[in-house]
Amino acid sequence: MPANALEHVAWEPCLLEARRDEELESYARKKLGVPHPTIRYYVDVPWLARALVDLHPEFGLLVHLDLQLGDLIQLVVSQENTCRYCYAAVRASLRIQGMSEARIRSVEGNLARADLTPREAAAIAFARAQSRSGPPAAAGARQALLDAGVSASEMKEIAFVAAMTDFMNRASTIPAISPYAFERAPDTLRVRLLRPWIARALRAGRRRGKATPLDGVPSYPYAGLVKAFDGSPIAPVLAKTLAEMWASPGLSRRCKLLMFAVIARGLGCGTCASEAARALQEEAVPPALLTNVLTHLDAPELDPVERVLVPFARETLWYEPAPLQRRARGVRDRLAGTQFLEAIGVVSLANGLCRLGATVAEHP
Amino acid sequence: MTRALLVIAGLGLLVALLAALYRQWRRATALQAQLEAAAAELQQLQQACARLAPAGVVQRLIADRTDTGAERKVVTALFSDLVGYTAMSERLEPAVLARVLNGYFQRMSDAIHEHRGHVSTFVGDGILAYFGALQPNPWQCNDAVRAALAMRAAIRDYNEELAKEGLPPLAVGIGIHRGPGLAGLVGSRERMEYAFVGPTVNLAARVQTLTRVHKVDILVTEALREHLDPRFVLTPMPAEFVKGIEEPVVTYAVRE
Repeated sequence: MPANALEHVAWEPCLLEARRDEELESYARKKLGVPHPTIRYYVDVPWLARALVDLHPEFGLLVHLDLQLGDLIQLVVSQENTCRYCYAAVRASLRIQGMSEARIRSVEGNLARADLTPREAAAIAFARAQSRSGPPAAAGARQALLDAGVSASEMKEIAFVAAMTDFMNRASTIPAISPYAFERAPDTLRVRLLRPWIARALRAGRRRGKATPLDGVPSYPYAGLVKAFDGSPIAPVLAKTLAEMWASPGLSRRCKLLMFAVIARGLGCGTCASEAARALQEEAVPPALLTNVLTHLDAPELDPVERVLVPFARETLWYEPAPLQRRARGVRDRLAGTQFLEAIGVVSLANGLCRLGATVAEHP
Repeated sequence: MTRALLVIAGLGLLVALLAALYRQWRRATALQAQLEAAAAELQQLQQACARLAPAGVVQRLIADRTDTGAERKVVTALFSDLVGYTAMSERLEPAVLARVLNGYFQRMSDAIHEHRGHVSTFVGDGILAYFGALQPNPWQCNDAVRAALAMRAAIRDYNEELAKEGLPPLAVGIGIHRGPGLAGLVGSRERMEYAFVGPTVNLAARVQTLTRVHKVDILVTEALREHLDPRFVLTPMPAEFVKGIEEPVVTYAVRE
């Protein structure tokens, strides 16, 4: 029997090189209480490295949602996205914190619903639907969630946890970050011996969030999502990530918006699609060009980088890891400098936010 | 003496009780392991099923065995068939024929899968595939035509391999059409499959037969052409009547 359900999933060798950055690592340790190994691959794109730390929901971003239910949502969404890396990481964290292997398996397999309360089951079903089938198909699961007595604020947090897991899953899967250390970790002698201390460090960083007012209303694209979380600690963190992402010089804003537009169209999120269209209009992109891009994923007016990244964006909507990683390798070889790293960040974030958008912006 | 006997009897009873408890513990552990193994297998099966039907349909079927997950969808259907299969099947030994056919099916399936298509079924030497059936796909028409072009290239490569073995070359006819239909689990109690039912599939199959009439390998319908990237090079073919359709069907041959 495999140690976990994703061990059979094909996974390519890692596409990126890890590099240590003391400042970023101490930032992660300060925020999370433990090191964050993924950020070593993204030190050249600081907004992305910081987002991977800041957007972890269980570290002060959830006011209403039970933290352990948040963990379970991260587990099942990582399973849906076949992200061996995140799945092994969440699983290791749950094991170290004391959750039994049997309970983890029952949640993963969705076999022992009796073990979950109706609210938990509805939350997990909704998170699965939002990640797996996109916004239109998640509407039924959203209604089931409300029928189970979940408040609108809690529902937004569930949607946020699922969306941020979608983001982190892609940021780990696209470059094929090696999952093997996390897969082996819970059973290694070192971790078993140090388990109480590791668990204490993990628990020390985990905390419930407090209501946080939003300072000013941002005006950049997708600020509507930030506004939808006004009053929640999610809003300022999301605002900071979006502001840094749009300002980052690795790719042009037009290129980033085109990737967002493709992902919004692929997911069928009307709100996110019109947001991208409006922002592209402000960038002086003619509507005919956008129509061409959205219909055929190409247009003669695109620059060479956009011609690589627009079709790649759609590859990240629904995927099997190994073919996606092979395509990503081809994309990496055609880009220069930090473009590839930034592109991973943009498509990963877009996948999370466009799934989130339909839930929180279309149903405030 | 009596006390010693009582102690021995008590110890015996205790040992027997401990042995029984140990046996029960072993049995419970074995059952737990079996349960976990079954759960893991079921989970893998569930993931494998997601390649055959939309994951949402699989989930609904698990939750409620009568739920067929039926819904109306617009899907692109690709129907391909081997040209001259009957003549070839009479010339080749069964084992060789099976090997050639399996090589053909594998290469065609790979080309379809590579372009986000889903092989629904093998019908004799034919293949029925869908684009946009398992997940929403606004680019399904372009994907289907790219898959057809990849199938053409794969057949060309395969024929070179077959020629080295002194085997006859293969040729395919491919028909592609886009339209609405009913997607869901259909079949009998004993055998169900995720299928797309409706005139779209029938027309794709009919268009495939027109490849013989027009002596081309890939034909698409007008309904599909409207959604196609204009950079595909198409040649209009004369409209032809096909079985079951009242109006003559306009098709386009895909050059490149």
